[in-house]
Formats: sequence, structure tokens, C-alpha cells
Amino acid sequence: MDDEAALLRRLGAGDARALEDVMARHATRVYRLARGVTRNEADAEEVVQDVFLTIARKHETFEGRAALSSWIYRITMNAALNKRRGLRAEVETPLDDLLPAFEPDGHRAGDRSLVLADWSGTPERVLLSAESRAAVRAALDRLPAHYRAVVVLRDVEGLTNEEAAESLGETVAVVKSRLHRARMALREQLTHHYASRA
Amino acid sequence: VTCREAIEVLADFLESTLPPDAVGRLQAHLAGCQPCQAYLNTYRRTRDVAGAVDRVEMPEEMRARLRGFLLERLRDTA
Repeated sequence: MDDEAALLRRLGAGDARALEDVMARHATRVYRLARGVTRNEADAEEVVQDVFLTIARKHETFEGRAALSSWIYRITMNAALNKRRGLRAEVETPLDDLLPAFEPDGHRAGDRSLVLADWSGTPERVLLSAESRAAVRAALDRLPAHYRAVVVLRDVEGLTNEEAAESLGETVAVVKSRLHRARMALREQLTHHYASRA
Repeated sequence: VTCREAIEVLADFLESTLPPDAVGRLQAHLAGCQPCQAYLNTYRRTRDVAGAVDRVEMPEEMRARLRGFLLERLRDTA
């Protein structure tokens, strides 16, 4: 922590080497979260700039109780949500519309071919093709921003539920619930996508 | 265990944080439920694909712009 606090002080004083160190450790992670929430390259770049300026100028407010990365993620999340404000209605879909439906007895409801669809054996080269990536990104676009943020921290960055909760200022229960609902909503959309191509 | 209940615990199951008795009940359900087997397989694959697609590096040009922008701003205020 002392090491990190000292690094931030040097950054605040305009030390180029400190800037390189902080960027090497955190720039890509800040960028991924900013891009994940804003879904826009230009907005993500502005968010990244804002975040690093905030880190440099407000380094005294880093109390060292949490990990530096969690503090930075929180700043990123706030900046990205501010940037996103007002754009929410553009693409995002209420999450309940994207979740699986069930019969009163607990069985899945809906088209039988979709209920049974198993595209998990699709080769990696197809799943990661340009067309498939576009479908995954479109599915992510439709998720509410708070849900996308959890997907980025857990499934892209590989944080634990506890680390993601600390980074977002949420409880572990909220993170777990959002992650599961986000994955279900993505799975539903991808199943429609791949089933229509089978 | 219904399909709805089986799907509710998939995230914990994949993280191996489900209690052993609940794992046993889920596996018994999966053994006889093709839709839930498909759901588990595609849920797992969704997690992996979403993680891989958004695992992008910051473009080098953006990194250079960021470095220049910050150095200028920090030296102005230092």
C-alpha cells in the first residue's frame, strides 16, 4: 500500500516514470471497463483520460484500505456511467425481456427447438469469428450498463465475486445475482443467434 | 429439483461453491433432463465467449495519446 501511495504522489507531481508505471499496471483494465460500460471507443477514451487525471489529482483520497485497483475501478465505473447517462434508452433492453421463461411447473417455456438447442460444440473458430463476435457484442449492448460492468470484471478480468463487489461498491450477493442474470440474458440471445444459423 | 431451480444454481455450480448435497440433486436432475444439459453447456460457453470477445488491449495509438495528454496536464498543474 505504501508503495502504491508513493507511486500516486509521484504521479500527482507530474513524474513521467510514475505515469508509465500506473499506465502499465492499470490502463488496459480501465480501458476494458470503460469500453464495456460505454460500448463506444471514443467515449471509452475520454473516460480513460478522466480516470487517470482523477487518480493523479485526487491521490490523497486513496485511503489504502482497499486495493488500488478497486479504487481505480470505482472511479472508472462512475466516469463511465456519467458518460453513458442519457444514452441508456438507445439500445439497452429491460433485462426481464432477455431472460428464460418458465412454465408454472418449473419447466422451460417456449419453442422446443430453442429449449433443446445446444450450440456449445460449435468450433472455437466459428464462435470467435467476426460475425459471431458482432453477435456477442450486440447481445452485450442490450444489457443494462451495471450488468455489463459485472461481466467485464468477472468474466473478462477474472476478478472474484468479492473483488468485483469491492470495485463496484456493491454487495457480493448483488454481484452474483447480476452476473447470473447477465449470463442468462446473453445465453438466450446467443442461442437465438446460433439456432437461426443451424 | 425443477428446471428453474437447476438453472438458478448454475453459476455456483460452475464455481464449485454449491454445497455437496445441492450438487448431488443438480446432477441427478441433469442426468434426466436434456434441456438442462443443453442449458448448462451453453451457459458455460456463453461465459467463455463473452469473456474472450471483450478481452481487448488498449490500442497503441490510444495509449500514446493518453500518455501525451496526461503528461501535458500533469506538468501544467504540478
